[in-house]
Amino acid sequence: MKKDKGSKGKKLFVKKADDRLSEDSPAKSKGTPDEGVPSMAEKKKPEKSAAPDKPDKLPEKPDHLPEKPARKNTVESDPWQQAFADDNTILIKRTVRSGQCIQFDGNVVVMGDVNPGSEIIAAGNVVVMGALRGVVHAGATGREDATVSAFKLQPTQLRIANHITRAPDGDYVAPEHPEIARIKDGVVVIETYQMGQDRQSKIG
Amino acid sequence: MGEVIVITSGKGGVGKTTTTANIGTGLAALGHKVVLVDTDIGLRNLDVVLGLENRIVYDIVDVTHGNCRMKQALIKDKRFEGLHLLPAAQTKDKTAVTPDQMRELCDNLKKEFDYVIIDCPAGIEQGFKNAIAGAERAVVVTTPEVSAVRDADRIIGLLEAAELREPKLIINRLRPLMVKRGDMMSIDDIIDILAVDLLGVVPEDELIVVTTNKGEPAVLDGNCRAGQAYRNMARRIAGEDVPLMDLEANDGFVSKLKKLIGFK
Ligand SMILES: Nc1ncnc2c1ncn2[C@@H]1O[C@H](COP(=O)(O)OP(=O)(O)OP(=O)(O)O)[C@@H](O)[C@H]1O
Ligand SMILES: [Mg+2]
Repeated sequence: MKKDKGSKGKKLFVKKADDRLSEDSPAKSKGTPDEGVPSMAEKKKPEKSAAPDKPDKLPEKPDHLPEKPARKNTVESDPWQQAFADDNTILIKRTVRSGQCIQFDGNVVVMGDVNPGSEIIAAGNVVVMGALRGVVHAGATGREDATVSAFKLQPTQLRIANHITRAPDGDYVAPEHPEIARIKDGVVVIETYQMGQDRQSKIG
Repeated sequence: MGEVIVITSGKGGVGKTTTTANIGTGLAALGHKVVLVDTDIGLRNLDVVLGLENRIVYDIVDVTHGNCRMKQALIKDKRFEGLHLLPAAQTKDKTAVTPDQMRELCDNLKKEFDYVIIDCPAGIEQGFKNAIAGAERAVVVTTPEVSAVRDADRIIGLLEAAELREPKLIINRLRPLMVKRGDMMSIDDIIDILAVDLLGVVPEDELIVVTTNKGEPAVLDGNCRAGQAYRNMARRIAGEDVPLMDLEANDGFVSKLKKLIGFK
């Protein structure tokens, strides 16, 4: 993944990850028996992917989604917001496997793959330096400016704040470039990851 | 008021999930309202076999813990209006749900559906106890192997102890040629030991693997031999009297089967 040197905004997730490489912070994977998927809700119909070579990339609207954002009290919101403000970031240096769930009240960076059947839930951004094939929820406490980026962005389901999209049914072409998903004009869009994108979106 | 049927086996990997997906889809294809409940918490598969994994938001643990309403967790099938899935949770374990919660769940589901079909996990521990808690009928799946039959026998005993009487048997992955050579237990051998009624016999069929990987149940494939077996079983569960096409399977099972489906 490109180093986002140009961005001096708060979205330091890439840089932060690099900074923390040496620290190798322990993976905080919890089974959390009574914490389910954090609140999420309807159903923004995602738009076409901006990546021109992959017309089929973006999911359609799931048809059974909850009508209301049934927020669960999985976490007290205050500490989460706090952590996000601090750009708290956790580094996971392993493959996240089926049945494993990473929940973190900041950004999550995975150096490895995120397999189908696993979940990454972050209050902030999610960056996967590998293939992201599981369920991912960025901005889980409601941050609509959270992003998900991955070398291979092929999530079973991708959620940002309370927007949900899912992979199209059937086979689809594996992405060839790192991609980033974010909310633009109320819908989740997936684009080829480019340096400086974060800054642009900040201004815009 | 619908009926709650648990699909169980004791031994792992004998075809419970395949059976649940196919019989459920078969019943939906007959026009019934069906919900499939995956109780294999921590090792969920049914969603994948049905090609519905990417739609999961809430699961059975969310429902039993009151994190969401039942309606929110039920996933509509892609193909059949009347078919729904209540997925298992993948990041929890069997203790996340109790038999009492399962009983209540099944009671609620059978108010809305004609058939509530429960995919049971392997084993005889808590997952099994959860799966059978709300069931009124049981279907035991076995393969023609001594170990699988032994486990099926154990399960039938446990089912009877839990007042689930007269379970029905499905013999899966039968290979008629091997039976003929005397290298595999025959249907009669198995019934002889288990002494229960047969619901159906499913032949070993490569198409099961193909359709499972595609997330499209074999029961919908008109040319699939195993699919035909599942179609028949669905009709039998719905109360139709469909002859066991393969009961005299010991000789010419495959050719008889082919004739029935319209092959030459
Ligand atoms: N009739 C058949 N012919 C060929 N393959 C089969 C047949 N039935 C099942 N299989 C294969 O056997 C494997 C196990 O099937 P399945 O997952 O349905 O078993 P299970 O009893 O649900 O397993 P578990 O105990 O792990 O839940 C699958 O790979 C499936 O494709
Ligand atoms: Mg199974």
